[in-house]
Amino acid sequence: MAPPSSASSGEDSSTPDTTQSQLQHSFLLHKASDKLISSGKARRRRRSIDLSPTKTDDDDKKQSDDERWLRMEAFQLVWSRIESTINHVLRNINARVFDHIRRWVWDSFNAIKPLATISPGPFPLVSQVTCTQLFTGLLLTNNMEFVDDISTFQELGLCLKSHGCHVANLSSFDFSSKNGIAGCLTSLLRQFLMSTFDAADMSILASWYSRQGNYGSPVVVIIDDMERCCGAVLSDFILMLSEWVVKIPVILIMGVATTLDAPRKILSSNVLQKLCPCNFKLGSPAERMDAVVEAALVRQCSGFAVGHKVAVFLRNYFLNQDGTLTSFVRALKIACVQHFSTEPLSFLLGWLLVKEDSKGVQSEKAVKLASELLSLARNQIAEQTEVTIVHSLTELTKLQKLWSTVVLCLYEAGKCNKTRLIDLFCEALDPDTYNLLASDGLTGTGKGFVQSLSSDHCMLEQNLSYRKGRLICQLLGRVRDLPAALLCRLLNGWKNLTVDVPEIHDKVKELQSIVKLDEGSCKPDLKEISRRHTSRSPLKIGQSQSINEKAAILMDCMVRDFMKPIECTAFHEIVCYRNVENLQSALIGDSRKMIQVDLLEFHKTLQCSCCRRSGNIPLPSMPDTSIMYTLAQEHGDLINLHDWFQSFKTIVIQYSRKGTSKLKKSPLKKRKERNESENKSEASIQARFCRAITELQITGLIRMPSKKRRDCVQRVAFGL
Amino acid sequence: MESETMLCTTDQCVEQEPQYTHIDRNEFSQRRHKKQEEEEILICECKCDEKDLESACGERCLNVLTSTQCTPGYCPCGVYCKNQNSDMVKEERPQITRRATRSSALAKSVVEETDTSSQHPNDASASSDIIKEESPQISRRTTRSSVLAKCSNNVVEETDANSQQQPTLDDLVIGEGESFSFDDLVSSFPGKESQIKELVHLLGPQNSPMLPIFIYGGSSTGKTSIVLQTFRHLKRPFVYSSCLTCYNPRIMFESILNQLFLHRKKAENGYSSAKRCERPSDFVNFLREALVSIIGNPQGQKSGLSSKRSGKANGNMIYLIFDNLERVKGWDKGSTVLSLLFNLYDTLKMPEVGLIFISNTSPDTYDSNMGYVEPNPLYLPDYTDDDLGQILMRHQANKKLYTSFLSVVLRPFSRITRRVDELSSAFSLLFRKYCEPITDLGVFPNEEMKRKLFSQFQPHIAPALNEIFKVSTQPSTEVEARERKPKVSTRKSRGYEVADQLDFHMSTSAKYLLISAFLASRNPATLDASLFDSTGGSNNRKRKRKVSEKSMEQKETAEQELLIKGPGTFPMERLLAIFQCITSVAEDPLDDEEQAQDGLGIQDGHCGLMSDVLLQLTSLCGANFIVKGGSCPLEGSTRYRSTVSEDMALQVARSIKFPLSKYLYRR
Amino acid sequence: MGRESPAEKALILLRTRLCDPNFIFRPLCESSDSNYSKLKFLVSSSITEACNNSILLLGPRGSGKIAVLDLVISDLLQEYPDTITVIRLSGLLHSDENCALKEISRQLCTEHQLLFSKMASFDENSQFLIAMLRECGLAHKTIIFVLDEFDLFALGKQRLLYNLLDALQSVTSQAVVIGVRCGSAFGKRVISRFSNRKLLFLPPSKEDIQRLLEHILLLPTDSGLPTDYVVEFNTKLQNILADERFEEIINTYLNIDSTIKDFLRYLFRSVSNMDLQSGMLLLENFKTALSNIQRHPKMECIKDCSILELYILVCMKRLEVKEHNSYNFTTVMKEYKSVHDSFQTSDYYAKNVCLRAFEHLLQRGLIEFIDNRGQNQSVEYRPVKLLISFHQLHQGLKSYRSCPAILQKIMDREK
Repeated sequence: MAPPSSASSGEDSSTPDTTQSQLQHSFLLHKASDKLISSGKARRRRRSIDLSPTKTDDDDKKQSDDERWLRMEAFQLVWSRIESTINHVLRNINARVFDHIRRWVWDSFNAIKPLATISPGPFPLVSQVTCTQLFTGLLLTNNMEFVDDISTFQELGLCLKSHGCHVANLSSFDFSSKNGIAGCLTSLLRQFLMSTFDAADMSILASWYSRQGNYGSPVVVIIDDMERCCGAVLSDFILMLSEWVVKIPVILIMGVATTLDAPRKILSSNVLQKLCPCNFKLGSPAERMDAVVEAALVRQCSGFAVGHKVAVFLRNYFLNQDGTLTSFVRALKIACVQHFSTEPLSFLLGWLLVKEDSKGVQSEKAVKLASELLSLARNQIAEQTEVTIVHSLTELTKLQKLWSTVVLCLYEAGKCNKTRLIDLFCEALDPDTYNLLASDGLTGTGKGFVQSLSSDHCMLEQNLSYRKGRLICQLLGRVRDLPAALLCRLLNGWKNLTVDVPEIHDKVKELQSIVKLDEGSCKPDLKEISRRHTSRSPLKIGQSQSINEKAAILMDCMVRDFMKPIECTAFHEIVCYRNVENLQSALIGDSRKMIQVDLLEFHKTLQCSCCRRSGNIPLPSMPDTSIMYTLAQEHGDLINLHDWFQSFKTIVIQYSRKGTSKLKKSPLKKRKERNESENKSEASIQARFCRAITELQITGLIRMPSKKRRDCVQRVAFGL
Repeated sequence: MESETMLCTTDQCVEQEPQYTHIDRNEFSQRRHKKQEEEEILICECKCDEKDLESACGERCLNVLTSTQCTPGYCPCGVYCKNQNSDMVKEERPQITRRATRSSALAKSVVEETDTSSQHPNDASASSDIIKEESPQISRRTTRSSVLAKCSNNVVEETDANSQQQPTLDDLVIGEGESFSFDDLVSSFPGKESQIKELVHLLGPQNSPMLPIFIYGGSSTGKTSIVLQTFRHLKRPFVYSSCLTCYNPRIMFESILNQLFLHRKKAENGYSSAKRCERPSDFVNFLREALVSIIGNPQGQKSGLSSKRSGKANGNMIYLIFDNLERVKGWDKGSTVLSLLFNLYDTLKMPEVGLIFISNTSPDTYDSNMGYVEPNPLYLPDYTDDDLGQILMRHQANKKLYTSFLSVVLRPFSRITRRVDELSSAFSLLFRKYCEPITDLGVFPNEEMKRKLFSQFQPHIAPALNEIFKVSTQPSTEVEARERKPKVSTRKSRGYEVADQLDFHMSTSAKYLLISAFLASRNPATLDASLFDSTGGSNNRKRKRKVSEKSMEQKETAEQELLIKGPGTFPMERLLAIFQCITSVAEDPLDDEEQAQDGLGIQDGHCGLMSDVLLQLTSLCGANFIVKGGSCPLEGSTRYRSTVSEDMALQVARSIKFPLSKYLYRR
Repeated sequence: MGRESPAEKALILLRTRLCDPNFIFRPLCESSDSNYSKLKFLVSSSITEACNNSILLLGPRGSGKIAVLDLVISDLLQEYPDTITVIRLSGLLHSDENCALKEISRQLCTEHQLLFSKMASFDENSQFLIAMLRECGLAHKTIIFVLDEFDLFALGKQRLLYNLLDALQSVTSQAVVIGVRCGSAFGKRVISRFSNRKLLFLPPSKEDIQRLLEHILLLPTDSGLPTDYVVEFNTKLQNILADERFEEIINTYLNIDSTIKDFLRYLFRSVSNMDLQSGMLLLENFKTALSNIQRHPKMECIKDCSILELYILVCMKRLEVKEHNSYNFTTVMKEYKSVHDSFQTSDYYAKNVCLRAFEHLLQRGLIEFIDNRGQNQSVEYRPVKLLISFHQLHQGLKSYRSCPAILQKIMDREK
C-alpha cells in the first residue's frame, strides 16, 4: 500500500502543513504526518497478513496488485469528494460574515473619505479630533485554537481584494518584539508595494496611495491573531496608522480568538481610544463541525461511512483534544486511508461511485475480483455471485440513504433547541439500540409502517426507558409539546427532506393536511389537548390524537423502521470503517508515555529470554538506558547523580563479576586480571552511564543539572 | 516584470486556492538582515558619460566583477548605474493603473517616463548646487485652494501635478492662497487664546530669529493642531516630523532632510530618500547644507532671495517642528538623540532656524546625563468644562438638543476624564441613544421633553461611565442579535457580574490545563501536596480546612504578596503535576458526562487528556491565558504565569463541572 | 520689505541681537582680565611661537564658552590670515573615534581644497591626519582643534584623544587643542596628557548684567529707525532699568538660573512680549515673562487631573503614609475601595476606568514604574512610585477648582 500512503501524505502536507509552517513553534510535537507514515507501515504489515492466502501463485499476484491499484484509485476518488465537499461547506459558512464585513468596510471608507486631505508634506493636518480614529473590525473566531482560521483570513483577504480594496494580511509574526515596529511596516510595504525597503516608513505608503489607480479605494489591513501579537509593537502600529488615517484611509480587521476583552488586555487605554471597533462573529467551531458532519458523513457525499465506535472516538477527540476542525478532518482522512488500505473489499466503494457516474469502466472486473475475494475471505461456496453483490450493494446504498434522511429529520426536530448533530450522529450509529429493538421484533422494513401510524402501538420509551438521556427519546418528548407554529415549520422541513423517500413523504404530507384542517379550528384547545396527552401515559391512543402525537409517532416509526445503523447491514464493511484502535494509535500517539513504557517494559519489544522473569528488578542484561530509568523510578523528581551512578555500577559490575568468575585462573593472576578489568570496566561503565544519561536527556525524560543543584538531574517525566 | 504578473494573479485568483506572496529577498528566520554600515559600502570607480550609458557599471565595473551590487547614491554612475537589483531599476517598472481606456494609461506611463528622465539630477545623487538653482525658480500653477477644497476626484490630477512639476519652497507652507486670519485661528480653538497669542509672540514678526520653543501639555489639548494652524495663519515655511511616525533616528533625519531638499518619495525614485543618513554627525552636516541651499548663505542677499520667492512663503526663517518628542525617550540611545536635538540650535549656529518641540510631558521629565540650555517653555493646559462644552458643540447639527444632552452627561463624565477624544467618542454613542425616542432630529426640545428624554436616558449613564471600550455590533448583523444580547450586557459591566457561559470554544483538556495553571499561579506551592493527593479528591476537603487553619497567620502577608506580586509563576513540572491530579480527580464528572453519550468514550477520552498537553500549553500561551515569564534567575527552566481572572477561571470550571472553589486556597 | 512699522523693526533688531552671541559677548571682552583676552593670548602666543598647546575651558552650561572662543578665533583669523585651520568637533556627534577622524579629515579637506572620500578607512584617516599635522607644522600653519562636549570624548577608550595628544608630542607638528566642557569631574588619564591650562567661566556679575541689559536693549540711533521713536524707547527703557521693582524681578530670576544664556532666554521672552501698537517695552513684559518662564510642571499636571485621577493620587499618598514600601495598581484599587467604603464617596468607578485614569497619570509623569524591565508583567502588578511630594499634592488639591471636600479632608487627616 505504498502509493496511497505516499499520495495521502503528500496531500496532507499540502493542506495542514501550510498551517504548520506558519505555526511551527506552537506545533512542536505535532504528530500528523509521521503518524501517517507509521500507519502506512502498519498497513503494509497488515496488508501482507490478510492477503497471505492469495499470495501463493503469480496470477493472484497480478490480481492482488491490480486490486491494490483499484483500491488506491478508489481512495483518491472518495477522499477528493469528501475534501471538496468539506471545503465547499466551510466556504459557504463564512460567506455571510464576509459579506457583512465587505459592506462595513465600504461604509466606513465612505465615512473617512471626506476627512482625507491632500495636505502637502508628510504630516496630517487634522481638522477635528474624532477623525483620527481607526475603524476596526474585531472578527471573533470563537475558537482558542488558531489553526482553522488561517485559511479563513486568507479567503477574507481575497474576497475583499476582489471587491476592489487594497488588502494586506499581517500575522503575529510581523508583530514580534524582536523586529519591532520596523518589521511589521516592512511586511506591510512589501504586500502593498511589492518591494522591500530597509527604512520602512509610512510616508512611502502615503505617496504610494496618492498615486493614480491606488487612490479612491480603502486600504484594509488584516491581522490574523491579535492575541499572539506583541502588545507594544501592535499599539505603536495602531498609533501610527491613526496618525496617518487622514491621508491613508486604513481600515483594520483583527482576528480575536477568545473574547472581546482581549484587545483591552494587550492594548493600553490611549491606544484603545484610537480604535472605533465593530465586531463580527465567525461560525462557532461546533456549528462548523455539524455542518461538516452533515455534509461529509450524514449526507453521504461519498459512500464512505464510519462505524459507531469510530464516530464516538472522533467526537471525543474533537471535544477533548484540540477542538480544531483541521484535526478532525485529518482524523477522518486517516480513517479513510486506513479503511482503503486494510479492508480488502473497500475498492468496491470506488466502483460504486464510478457506477453512480454511470461510466462503468472496469466495473465487471471489480465485481469479479470482489467475488473471488469474498470466496477467499469468508470461505463460502460460490453462490456469492456478482448478482448478490451488486444487489446487496444497491440495497446497502438505499438503506444508507434512508438512514441519513431519518437522521436529518431528527436533526431538524432538534434544531429548535440546539441539538448537536454530532451527538445525534453518534447515537444514530449505535448498533446495540437497533439490535435491541430488532430482538423485540419491533423493527419492520417499510411494510409495518403504514398501519403502524393508525394502530395504537407502544412507543420507544418503554423499550428504551432503562436508558437515560437518550437523545432520540428527548427529541420525541420535545416534538410532543412543540407549539403549533414550530410544528408546522418542522413538518415543512421534513417534507423537503424526505422528497425522495416516498413512504415518509406521504405521511408527512398527510400530517400537514391535518394541520391545515386544524388551522380553522381553535388552536388553544389543540395545544391543551397535546399537553394533556403528553401528561397522560401514551399507552391508549384514541383517534383523537393531537398533531404533536401524530408527529411524534411518525418520528418514532421513522426511527425504528428506517434508521438502520450501517453496522447492522450486510456488507457494511465495504463502506464502513470501524477499527478504532488503529485510528487512535495513529492520532493520539502519546510519545512521552510511549517512550517511558518502552523503557520500562522493553522485553515486550526485545522478546529476549534473559530478562523476562524479572518484574522490575533491574538486571545487568537489560539495556543501559532502561536500567537507568528503572533506577530513576526510586528517586523523586531530583536524582543525585552520584547515587545513581553507584547503583548503576553495582548492577553492571555483578555482571562483569560473573563473567570473570567463570574462567579458572591462579588467584594472583586472577586478582590482577580482576582489578585491571576493574579499572578498565570502571571507565567503560562511566562511559555507558554518560551515554545512557544523554539518551534519557534527548528523549526528554530528565533535565541536565541546573546552576543551583549541580549534582542533581531533574526528572521531567510525567504521564505514567 | 514579475510584479506585474503577480498583480494579475492576485486580481483573478479569487477562486484559485493557493495565493503567492512576492518575496523580494531572503527572509532569514534565525538571523536578521544586517544593515549595511557606511564604511562597508563598496564604491566602484566607473566613469559614465551621458553619451553612452553602456559605460556605466558594465562588465568592467569592480562591483560587477566582485558580484556585489552598487549602492544607490554612492555609485559614481549615479542613476545610470546598471549594476542594480532588477526591481530597483525605475524605468522598466510597470505601472498598474486601473483605467477605463487603455490609451489614457499609455499616456500616463509616457508622461511618467519623461519626467523620470527630467528627474534624474534630483534623484538620490542630488547635489546642493543643483537644488540651489532649482529652488528659486518660480512655477505658477493652479491655486492650491482648489485642492484644499477636499473633493476626491480632482485629487487624482492633483497628484499628477505633484509628480510632474518641480516642487518649490512653497511646499513647506501649508494653505497659501487662502486667507486664514488670526481670529479664525483663535475661534477654532476655544479657551486657548492666550496661549496662541503667546506662541505668535514667540514666533515673532517675519525674518526675526528666535530661540527654541518647547510646547507641552496633556494629550489631546491641541498642541499639534494649534502649531500647524498657527503656521497656516502665518504662512511661513516649516518642516514637520513626528517622532511617532519617524520611529528611529535614521527615519527622522531622512524625513527632515527630504522635506528640506524638497524631495518626495515616489515610485519614480523607488521611494528612496534624498540622502542616506544614519549618524547624528552626517545629519548635522546635511542639515547645514540643506538649510544653506534653501535660505541662501546666512550672510547677505536675504532680501534678494526672498523677493525672488514668489511672495507665497513669507520670511526667510525655516522652522523645524519636532512632534511627540516624548517618544524619543523610548528609543535605544534615545538620550543622545534628545541631547542632540536640544543642543541643535547651538550646534547649527544659524539664526534663520527656529526649533519647536512638542511634547506631552513637561520639560523636567527630560533629564539627560549631560544638560542643555532649556528652550522656552509654553504650556497648554487641559480644557475646562465649558471649553469642553464648546468644543463638543462644534460639528453638531442640532445645537439645542445637544446642549440639553451635554447638560446631562458632561459633568459626570468630566469627573472621570477631561480628554476631548475620549469624551467625544463616548458621547457620540450616547447621543444616539439619547435621541432614540425622538423622531426628527431637528426638533428644539422644550422642558418637559428634556425631562422625558432624561428619564428614558438615565439608566444608560452609569454603565457608560464604567465602560472605556465599547464594541458596537454591525447593524446588518442584527439577525443574530438574540444570542449576542447577553454578551453585550456582560461586556458593558465587566468586573461587576460574571458572564454566564463561555463564549468561545476550548477543548476539554485545554480547560483542565487552564484551571490547573490558574491554581498553580494562585495557590502557594507549599500547599500543593496537601491540596491534591494523587489518589483523588475524596477527602481533601477536611485536609484543606486543616491546612487553612494551620496557615491562618500567614494570611495577611500572603494577601499582600498576592496583591503586590500578582499571579505567581510556576515551572512546567508543577503545572503538569497539578494537571494530572485534577484530571485523575475529575474522573467521575468526566465519566458520567461521557456515560450520557455512551460507555466507550471514557478511557480514550481520558488518556487523550494527558496526551498532548504541551501542545495545549503552547496554544494557551498563544491565547494569552498563560504568559511564559522570563526564566527565573535561580534555575534555568522557564517559568509560566497564568493571567486568567478569577471569574473567567470559575466560568471555565463551571463549563466542565469542575469544583474549582474546593481547590482554591481561600485567603 | 519696507512695510514693517518701526516698532516691528525694533523688535526684529532686538531679537536678532539676542540670538547673536558675537554681539552679546563683545562688551564682556574689553577688560584685560576677561577670559577672552586670556584665551586670545594663549592661542596667539602658541601660534607665534609655533608650538603645541592645549587648553581647557570650564564652566556651567550656557556660560558662553563657545561664544568667547568663536570671538577669539574670528579675531585671530583676521590677524593671521592663512596660518590657522580650525577643526570643530562635538562630543555629541563625534564621540566615536571613527566618525570623529572622518569628520576631522573632511574639515581638513574642505579647508585645503582636497578631495575627501567618504570611504576612507580609520587608518587612512589617521595617517592623513598625521601627515597633515606634519605638513602644517612644516608650513608653520597652526591647526586648532575645538573639542566641544569634551567629557564625551573622555568617555570610553579615548582613542581619539590619545591619537591627537600623541601627535602633539612630536615637535614638528603645530596645533592647539581646546577642550570645552561643562562637568567638573575629570578623567585622570586625560589630564595627565592635557596641559594644566584651564580657563574658568563664571556666571556674570551684577555689573555685567547691567552692562548687558543696556548693551542689548538700548536701540542704536544710527540704524534705520526714526530717531524720535528711538529716543522715546530708550528713555522709557532707562526708567525701567532704574526702577527697583525691575531690580528685584531680575534678581528673583537670577536666583533661579544665573548663566548668561538663561538670562538671554529671559530677555528674549520679555522682548517678544513687547506690544507692537505702542512699540515700547513695559515693566509688565518682564513680569509676565518671569511668570511664563518659571513653570511648576507638577502643579500644572495636578490642575489638569480629573477628579478620579485625584482620588488615585490621594490613595497612593495614603499608602505611602502607611509605609507600604511598594505598591501597584491592585493595592491602590484596594485602597480606593476602602476609601469609598469608609467615606461613601459619590464617584466609585469600575476597575477598567480606574486603570485608564492610572495610565493617564503615567502619561502625565505624575507617577512612574519603579523598574522598567518587568515587561511581561501586566500593568496592574508593576510597582509604581509617586513623583510628587505630599506638600505638592496638598497644594495642588487646595488650588484645584472643584476639589471634592473628602479628598481635602483625607489629606488634612493624613498630615
